[in-house]
Amino acid sequence: MQLIDKLSVLADAAKYDVSCASSGAPKRSSKGKSGLGATDGMGICHSFTPDGRCVALLKILLTNFCLYDCQYCVNRRSSDVPRARFTPEEVVSLTLDFYRRNCISGLFLSSGIIRSADYTMEQLVRVARLLREEHEFRGYIHLKTIPDADPLLIAEAGRYADRLSVNIELPTETSLIRLAPEKQVVTIKHAMHTIHQGETEASAEKRAPRFAPAGQSTQMIVGADSTDDSTILQTAQSLYGSYRLRRVYYSAFSPIPHSPNTVPFAAPPLMREHRLYQADFLMRGYGFNASELLSGPGNLALDIDPKLAWALAHRDQFPVDLNRAEPMMIARIPGIGMLSAKRLVDLRRHKRIRFEDLTRLRCSLEKAKPFVITQDYRPSLAGHESAMLRQHLRDTPAQLALW
Amino acid sequence: MLTVRFDGSFQEWRNRARALLQSQVAPHEVSWAGGNESAGLFEEPLPTPANESGQRIRVPRQLLDELEMAARYRTEHRWSLLYRVLWRVNQGDSSARMVGDIDGSELHGRIKAVRREAHHLHAFLRFRPLQTSDGPQHVAWFEPAHDVLPWAAGHFAERMGGNSWLIATPEEGVCWDGQGIYYTRPCPTQWRQLAQNAADPGGELWKAYYESTFNPARLNRGVLENNLPVRFWKNLPEGMLIPQLMSRARAGAQRDGQAERVAAKNGKRIGRAAEQAD
Repeated sequence: MQLIDKLSVLADAAKYDVSCASSGAPKRSSKGKSGLGATDGMGICHSFTPDGRCVALLKILLTNFCLYDCQYCVNRRSSDVPRARFTPEEVVSLTLDFYRRNCISGLFLSSGIIRSADYTMEQLVRVARLLREEHEFRGYIHLKTIPDADPLLIAEAGRYADRLSVNIELPTETSLIRLAPEKQVVTIKHAMHTIHQGETEASAEKRAPRFAPAGQSTQMIVGADSTDDSTILQTAQSLYGSYRLRRVYYSAFSPIPHSPNTVPFAAPPLMREHRLYQADFLMRGYGFNASELLSGPGNLALDIDPKLAWALAHRDQFPVDLNRAEPMMIARIPGIGMLSAKRLVDLRRHKRIRFEDLTRLRCSLEKAKPFVITQDYRPSLAGHESAMLRQHLRDTPAQLALW
Repeated sequence: MLTVRFDGSFQEWRNRARALLQSQVAPHEVSWAGGNESAGLFEEPLPTPANESGQRIRVPRQLLDELEMAARYRTEHRWSLLYRVLWRVNQGDSSARMVGDIDGSELHGRIKAVRREAHHLHAFLRFRPLQTSDGPQHVAWFEPAHDVLPWAAGHFAERMGGNSWLIATPEEGVCWDGQGIYYTRPCPTQWRQLAQNAADPGGELWKAYYESTFNPARLNRGVLENNLPVRFWKNLPEGMLIPQLMSRARAGAQRDGQAERVAAKNGKRIGRAAEQAD
């Protein structure tokens, strides 16, 4: 098979993994050195595909041959897809060529399980070692960890990679047993623990070699089973707590060719995925708890964002006086983000906050209006029942129809 | 109205602005003409060179950085806002450089646009390898919306190490020979031709990757155009693929996520005892 054909097959096979982060790596530079590549911690999206996702890394599988039969996965053993396999050297030369062209910031390498978990993991590590040691590549490397692999191999991967990830794929054990018979929650969590331990040990000792400095992440597939958003967010929260994950990615299940009967025929609304990302962001950045965002079983509202939903359910805490409130409470006002909250607090050291200041900070005025008090403005509370407000503030149906 | 003509560089603007501040010339009394900009209908030459030995002007160090950054923003009258902010801060009104202020908001809006354009340069510039033995190993053509090139190009020296490269734009050019960086304005014609006409036999691989990594079941034109503005498409190798990938996906030929060229190939199931399968 020609290299270009392999690339088509193995990029297509890898695209269902939605992680694209290339941030968080330590600062590295090749200026005045042999070799290639730099990172500055920020990450760069070098392109965007028509599905709106960014291309920051060359995201491919080493091979899409796979012994596992995960029902939601296009590469499952019983799937009738074209199969291909790169040699490690081919992956290395593609990475370096695309990097020199400034098409990518690095490599995100994953693989189907071939021969054994250890063999597969060894191959992935070999690619990273070739890049780092033979070619002095200083760009970003993200390796997908094979959960059952020997912890020593995972430790080796952590020395070469900026980021490691283990996909949990499904939010509950029952779903995993039903849809991914060869995978086990316990080994996935064990791998996450090994990575977390590697990070902790490396950061405890100053001169220890770096270990996955950009941390670890995971992915959950949404809509391949009947799990609700509440369970998904609780799972995410416990993963953040237990293993200090940098990110949990949510991937709306994509229908795959010759889909088995065990998974749905249609994709969930992409808006559901979007709401989960918003909720996740509120947990990581705004100090929200999963149970605050969804107090019981069920899904996040599709027509309003989770912060607005929370505010409508907690009218007793509003309106908030921008000239007095704590910064964290200001950031909880719908339409006002963390950055604007900080700027408002800076600004009020110089002057009293007026309503027009929100315009200059480009806050979403419509959303914020019923929830704020400023020097010259106070919302008229009469006639603003939460249900009415929701009618008024909900996203337009045009956006909702994203299927 | 005084007219200040200068070469359009920030350094020179700074010298002029300092002299004007020392002579107590208010912002509404000055019109700025940097480079080949015109100052408007009522041009009057500056009467006397300002007195350099006057009182020293003291402004926060950070303000200078902000003004220099905002100066890269291409717009008519780019210098008058900068002088107004400088004037107000010098008068003790530090809110002039805050986002909540009417001038400060404009200043930071420009800084933000300049940073964004530098980011675009780092992201959407594409090098092509040159096959010649002398001259740069990689060349790129880029059309920035603001004057970010000399400031932003250092990024590529860190990325490319000892590999030499050249970037040409409609106004400026910059090159790196593996050791040092050279900036020139205007951009030499020869550089422009080199960058715009470089043949690229190996370019197909990237396009194949781009095609396959797109999930047609998730078409989302709005997000794409927001992040990758249409003005960049024509200079990106994958740019010409975008309309055709979108229309193919919209035509409903692909209800699942697989790329057409992959779906067209023969597939293969793998047996349970598949050690030999790879």
